[in-house]
Amino acid sequence: MVEISAKSVYKIFSKKKGEVYALKDINLTIESGEKFGILGPSGAGKTTFMRIIAGLEAPTKGELLFDEKVVARNGKVIVGPESRNIGMVFQNWSLYPNMTAFDNIAFPLTNMKISKSEMRQKVEEVAKVLEISSVLEHYPRELSGGQQQRVALARAIVKSPSVLLLDEPFSNLDARIRDSARALVRDIAEKLRLTVIVVSHDPADIFSISNRVGVIFQGELVQVGKPEEIYNSPKSFHVARLIGEINELKGKVIEEDGKNILSIGNLAIPISGGYRGEVKVGIRPENLRLEEEPREEGWVEAGKVRVKITTYEGGHFKVTLTPLGDDQEIIVFMDKIPKEEEMKLFVRPSKIMFFKY
Amino acid sequence: MMRERRVLSPYTKSVLHYIALTIVSVIWLIPVYAMIINGFKSNLEVASSPVLVPPSHPTLSPYMAVAHVLETPIINSLIVAVIASLLSTILGSMGAYFFYVLSNSYFRGSGMLSNFLFSLIALGTFIPYEATLIPLTRFIVDINLLNSYPGLIVSMLIFYIPTAALLMSLFVTVVPKSLIEAARLDGAGDVKIFFKVILPLVIPGFISTLIFIIIESWNNFFLPLVLTTTPSMRLVPVAVEAYTGGYGTLYNETFAVATLASLIPLIIFIFLGRYFIRGLVALGGAGKGV
Ligand SMILES: Nc1ncnc2c1ncn2[C@@H]1O[C@H](COP(=O)(O)OP(=O)(O)OP(=O)(O)O)[C@@H](O)[C@H]1O
Ligand SMILES: [Mg+2]
Repeated sequence: MVEISAKSVYKIFSKKKGEVYALKDINLTIESGEKFGILGPSGAGKTTFMRIIAGLEAPTKGELLFDEKVVARNGKVIVGPESRNIGMVFQNWSLYPNMTAFDNIAFPLTNMKISKSEMRQKVEEVAKVLEISSVLEHYPRELSGGQQQRVALARAIVKSPSVLLLDEPFSNLDARIRDSARALVRDIAEKLRLTVIVVSHDPADIFSISNRVGVIFQGELVQVGKPEEIYNSPKSFHVARLIGEINELKGKVIEEDGKNILSIGNLAIPISGGYRGEVKVGIRPENLRLEEEPREEGWVEAGKVRVKITTYEGGHFKVTLTPLGDDQEIIVFMDKIPKEEEMKLFVRPSKIMFFKY
Repeated sequence: MMRERRVLSPYTKSVLHYIALTIVSVIWLIPVYAMIINGFKSNLEVASSPVLVPPSHPTLSPYMAVAHVLETPIINSLIVAVIASLLSTILGSMGAYFFYVLSNSYFRGSGMLSNFLFSLIALGTFIPYEATLIPLTRFIVDINLLNSYPGLIVSMLIFYIPTAALLMSLFVTVVPKSLIEAARLDGAGDVKIFFKVILPLVIPGFISTLIFIIIESWNNFFLPLVLTTTPSMRLVPVAVEAYTGGYGTLYNETFAVATLASLIPLIIFIFLGRYFIRGLVALGGAGKGV
């Protein structure tokens, strides 16, 4: 295991049309044994960061340290990828097509000084854990997507790497087996006490594996924290939207009878906190309910809304609403089709997020 | 609105294709046909009958008469061509891998260096042998290899390693670079990556290149001409050229010599030709399916 730290890391690609800042001033320490997730939209620089950690790319500026030892600095790789003891699962898995699953998994071991029998034993051990013992003699093209992913994972962990890097490890899998694959990776990482860095644009990948998350936008690390921190108090609306469906609404905070009221069209929601005037708020659909649905404590009535469209999506109904006398759209999820055209909307005020305007 | 255009029916189209193919093949085959049949004519008939008319009384005697002449050159040519082409294809493939890695390297300027070296080598393959006559001969003499197998092989390597590197670059660059990166992270060095990962994936291309270079080196006339001094060291093309019969020119025997001399490349192509084609086809589908 190893502690990885990036000190003011920049990566600048020079292109014909000028320079692309793939990474801007990244400062981050990933502790030994940590499961760290990097979340960001497409083109944010996630793969670039992972490749710099692996040693496949050099930071244009800044330093990368493994256990306080500099491995790359200012455009130079000091410790090469072959000496960093890294296990990596590539986005497309990159299995060697000319080798069987067994030989693929054994390949990292052939570069170490260990005996043939020990090698066989190690390969069979990981194959058993990953439930691919029966396909060890098959070539990659003869394996299903899920099996290929397991072989790639086996190849990455068979040498007991000091850090395991996963680049969008589940994006090539069927949605059907994605959950079990996530659980598998989490369990393996736990069992082997690996330091894991997982990169994805899908928050489900990140949240299922990691215990700390960094969010990256256009090469900048905008927020680092525990998954629930990122989920409940995102630094910006961009971060909030990256993590899941959210309603972005413009409103006004006014004082009525000594209380703060958030008003959006005809909706009025009592809030605490010192916001005043024009505000931008984010409310996740699960914190909004129509009157027909059951509610526990903490819900308050906001006012009447009009139902615009109802669609069916992933096991529930997605209902688009608008406040009366306002054309902002609000999305909520329901288990059944709303009965009437105008209904009361309930909200959990404590879950409303306020953002800089 | 669709524009009216006269379209040939698929049937007419394929007939036209075949006619064109037949014409090209016939044009290409006429000299080969003439070479083979005239070797079966008697000395009198070869001079009296038109060159495209088959022999009226086929005879093996011209072939018998020249077989012993080519015996030593064929053995010499086999030794030189096989060793030189194997070595240059392997070394050229390694060179192609080197350029591929260099062009993807993160070192500053490595892409430019790779392009520069590659252009230099490409340029090298276009230099005619004749232009290098004096320096090459002096070099081979200086290292004491004139009129020897190693001398011939070394001189051929000088010309064919760049050719092989150039050809193999077409195949090697089709291998996804993430495979090389995966192997590197697995702790493998470049030699191992080349032999265990790259080479097995470019075998069709490797064989195509090998065949191409075997045939090129087999037919190379100039290098063995200037670098051998005794008849016992002659290679096939020089022996064929030197063969004029005892007195005057016996055309039937010249044809027979030429036929025998073409036999080896022909056999190689018959046995390995499908790999040659496969290599070219693999290139056509570049990028996918590796
Ligand atoms: N080798 C390269 N040369 C030039 N630009 C590059 C190179 N690699 C990446 N970039 C640029 O750097 C930026 C970040 O790319 P990167 O691949 O790291 O994004 P990503 O977050 O992994 O995106 P995705 O989720 O789509 O994989 C992009 O704008 C990309 O175009
Ligand atoms: Mg990526």
